Amino acid sequence: MIKKKTSPVIEARNLTRIYTLGNSEVVGINNIGIDIAPGELVVLKGNSGSGKSTLLSLIAGLDRPTRGYLTVAGHDLTKATTSDLTHFRREVVGMVFQSFNLMPTLNVLENTSLPGLLAGKSGDNVKSKATELLEWLGLSARWNHLPAQLSGGEMQRTAIARALINDPDIILADEPTGNLDSRNGQVVVELLAELNRKWNRTVVIATHSDLADSLATMTICLRDGMITDQACDI
Amino acid sequence: MRHLGFYLKFFTWFSLRNLRTHPVRALTVLLGIALGAAVFTSVRLSIHAALDSFTRSMDVIAGSADRVVVQPGGRVPEEWVPRLLRLPVVREASPILTTYARFPGEKAAPFLLIGFDPILDQSFRKWRTAERSWEDANRWLELLKRPNTVIVGKSLAEKYAVHRGDRLTIEHTRRTAKFDIVGILSSTGLARAEGGMIVLTDIATFQEFTELHGWVDRIDLKLAPNATNRTLEEIQKILPENILLRLPSAAKESGQSMIRAYQLNLTILGFASLFVGMFLVYSLVALNAASRRHELAVLRATGASPYLLFFVFLAEGALFGVAGWFAAIPISTLLVKYMLQGVSQTISILFVRVQVDTLSLSPWEVILSFGVTVFTACVSALQPAWEAMQVTPGEALEISRHGMQYKKSHYKLVLAGMGCLFLVIPLSLLPKILNMPLPGYVAILLLFGGFSLFAPWGLNQMGKALSPTLRRFAGIPAYLAGRYVRDSGTRTAVSVGALITAVALFASLVIMIFSFRSTVELWTDQTVSGDLFITTKMGEINQFRYPIPRSVVQWLQEFKDRVDIVPSRRYFLGQNNFPFEFELLDIETFLRYGDFVWLKGDSDEVRASLKHGEGVVISEVFSSRTGLTIGDRFRAWIESSPVELPVLGIIRDYRTQGGVVFYSMSGFNIRYHDIQWSGCRIFFKDRTQDIEAAVASLQNEIVRRWGDTLDMISGDGLRNVILKVFDETFAITTVLLLIALIIAALGIATTLTILILERSKQLNTLYAVGASFGQIRSMILWEAAFMVVAGELAGIVCGFILSYILVYVINRQSFGWTFLYEVDWGALAMSFPLIILTALAAAYPAIKMVFRESPAMLLREN
Repeated sequence: MIKKKTSPVIEARNLTRIYTLGNSEVVGINNIGIDIAPGELVVLKGNSGSGKSTLLSLIAGLDRPTRGYLTVAGHDLTKATTSDLTHFRREVVGMVFQSFNLMPTLNVLENTSLPGLLAGKSGDNVKSKATELLEWLGLSARWNHLPAQLSGGEMQRTAIARALINDPDIILADEPTGNLDSRNGQVVVELLAELNRKWNRTVVIATHSDLADSLATMTICLRDGMITDQACDI
Repeated sequence: MRHLGFYLKFFTWFSLRNLRTHPVRALTVLLGIALGAAVFTSVRLSIHAALDSFTRSMDVIAGSADRVVVQPGGRVPEEWVPRLLRLPVVREASPILTTYARFPGEKAAPFLLIGFDPILDQSFRKWRTAERSWEDANRWLELLKRPNTVIVGKSLAEKYAVHRGDRLTIEHTRRTAKFDIVGILSSTGLARAEGGMIVLTDIATFQEFTELHGWVDRIDLKLAPNATNRTLEEIQKILPENILLRLPSAAKESGQSMIRAYQLNLTILGFASLFVGMFLVYSLVALNAASRRHELAVLRATGASPYLLFFVFLAEGALFGVAGWFAAIPISTLLVKYMLQGVSQTISILFVRVQVDTLSLSPWEVILSFGVTVFTACVSALQPAWEAMQVTPGEALEISRHGMQYKKSHYKLVLAGMGCLFLVIPLSLLPKILNMPLPGYVAILLLFGGFSLFAPWGLNQMGKALSPTLRRFAGIPAYLAGRYVRDSGTRTAVSVGALITAVALFASLVIMIFSFRSTVELWTDQTVSGDLFITTKMGEINQFRYPIPRSVVQWLQEFKDRVDIVPSRRYFLGQNNFPFEFELLDIETFLRYGDFVWLKGDSDEVRASLKHGEGVVISEVFSSRTGLTIGDRFRAWIESSPVELPVLGIIRDYRTQGGVVFYSMSGFNIRYHDIQWSGCRIFFKDRTQDIEAAVASLQNEIVRRWGDTLDMISGDGLRNVILKVFDETFAITTVLLLIALIIAALGIATTLTILILERSKQLNTLYAVGASFGQIRSMILWEAAFMVVAGELAGIVCGFILSYILVYVINRQSFGWTFLYEVDWGALAMSFPLIILTALAAAYPAIKMVFRESPAMLLREN
């Protein structure tokens, strides 16, 4: 277990997630304990099957633990109702995926605005905020393009804009550079670092790439569903 | 052989295993095809059974005669038998009489009584009694030796539990008499006529029973081998003008032609169900081809030829066709039992009497049904197979697109749709081909095709137009649904196309049936007017060939202070193998209480001329079939008189069994000869009294005086029976329609489920970025609503156009009639909630499947 002195924004104790697949059980993560302070840029490292994505999905409120305790930004996710989790995903965390997961029938501006509209916010306000984000991300000229008309880097930046539209405290990125070339990957990692440094967001990146290593304020290595104290050997 | 082996193995690996991993989808499509194939097969089999029964019946009754001597509308004097036998060219002659009779009791079914000379008839018709011993085998001679003896058909004997030696009471128009059974027919030859519901008797017994001494219905002739057309003309010259020499098959051919017209119409309706099922096959095969595009690219990259991919997907379609056809067998078995009764009844009422005793499984019908089903399924799979063939090996390396494709333009589909719709009207104006309204049916196919091709564009426009408004009033889920439907292209358009077809069929048939019924109601109110209808006992089934006795007519005249009587005489005739009725009527009195439903001609002028016996009015059916119109001359032999009269007007008449010609009875008596009444209708002069009570009272008086020698029915009763027959006739159509709607609903359900599952990742991403379950569910329901509304609205428009084609083209060319166009808005409106509910019900299982797995699992990259 890794402890920090400040009050953690993400706190887990004995966190376990076991999946039942047919007749067998697969342990996603096993007895994990973490404390992440606000404003950290955390890199979760490990091979495929190490439990990075499982841990990230639990923190994102996309899944529920089998056992243990998990609090994120003051929200006890182990006891949260479905409606609590919906609110949580809207307001507290923003997700960035490896495959971008943009809506193919919505343009860049619309994809960016989507979480704000789902949260019931005023269309004009959301649009204004989205425009601001796209400008920051260098996508103003592409606002009305569909995802099929974008490059991989542009799609991932759109996904980042989408993740930020509701001003979440925590940004979670699952292999954000996995489908990008090294140049675009570097750009994305630097953007996430900027979110952390300048905008003071807590950023958690699950990756087996070393692009973010130099920018991380905290590294957690996972192997076989458990945190390992040994150097992250990918 | 090796190639075939490889191909089968490849098909198993690639297609069958994939289908096995999605069993619900595959089974749903299979069910849709099975239903369509079952409807098609059972329609064909049941009408084939009726046609087969009718043909067999006519053949065994007609026997092996070369020619028949008949008098249209009358009978042939028996004296012509020996006169014809004296001609060298006539080898044999057999006089025949037939009538329908029954056993006493209200519920007794009529059977065919045949009067013949067993010795003269020996070589014409095959029959024998079911006797075992040689002594008993000659018992049929009793027919000649003793009067009032009969041989009973096996089915009839079994139904009423009668045996050789029993005494039977038989009722007929004129008399009731007792007969001794001297034999039971074995199940061969003549015994197969009328489903075995026949009784044979000697001609003398028949004539005495029916008071037709000296008359026969026809004389069957066998001619010498050297008979030529010239010798036949010589025979005709010897016969009086009103007695004709005809082919024995004339009656059979006209009956067959009517049944075949009905068969074609029901077949098309049955095929429509299969057509709707076609969309399901297209939907699933297209999905398989699209969602596995990367796999196809990898296959191409590793050496598969484009043709291999083409035939694999074509084979998938064929598999659904074959499997669906086999799955249809149990459904057909149930459906055909229901349809057989309905179809036989309809044919008997509308066209010719049929008695179906067995369902013969025609191998040709089975092959046809199999072929049509598999062909339809293969055609459905053609386009997706073609698309699969276009996948290039290079696509195997394209991983950054993440399955995102540019939108395809709908421009080509819209053009093709316009082309189809443009041809609809010109085609529907073309005349029949091979005596079938083929251009009309092609027009219908193009109408469905045209509207379906417009579906992607229509959805696109609908999404564009409605999404912003819906966002304001129904929130972001409706907006997202509209955007998805707008951009989903042919994926959703296919099942919308199926829904358009089903709704169009439903709407058009609702309009057609309502129009028809309204017109028939008008016709019954006006033309079938009367408080009480009287005819001889079993008059209708015997085609009114036995007039009402003069004593009854005189007795009825005594009521003239209370009632007005409209006498009539009906003759069942034929023109160019087309049957029609010639009805003589007291026009003057009839027009005081009722009227015709006028179609052509100035009704006021025609009425006046008709009363004076200056000409005839003909029904629309008669006019369509014969080509006669106003100003032409109507010609026919009525008993001994050659009738030639101008056509004054054309009317609508929905009497069964062909067209009708009306003429004034008094005019006929003056111009030609006196005729007897075959029936009459009675109107009470005092219209303020309780007519129902008055009718009942008069009926009681008639029964008290004449017993059961007359058949009577009240005017209200008759009009209700006509409408009931109408409703029962269209019951089959309604069932077929509902099945088509069910198949379309299955299509919507399948497509929704597939599209939702395909977008699992997208939907779970929505969940990840903050959508609630309720919002996602709402979005899917809105998508279903969009598809349904698009299909319903386009289907209704298509249905209106189709209804015009059905009323003014198909019905006119198939049956000769049209009707006044009227719309049942209430029934049309009923389809909307039905379809909406079905779609929403279909959406729910799809929604549950989306979140069957944890979003975290679905969003994982590894």
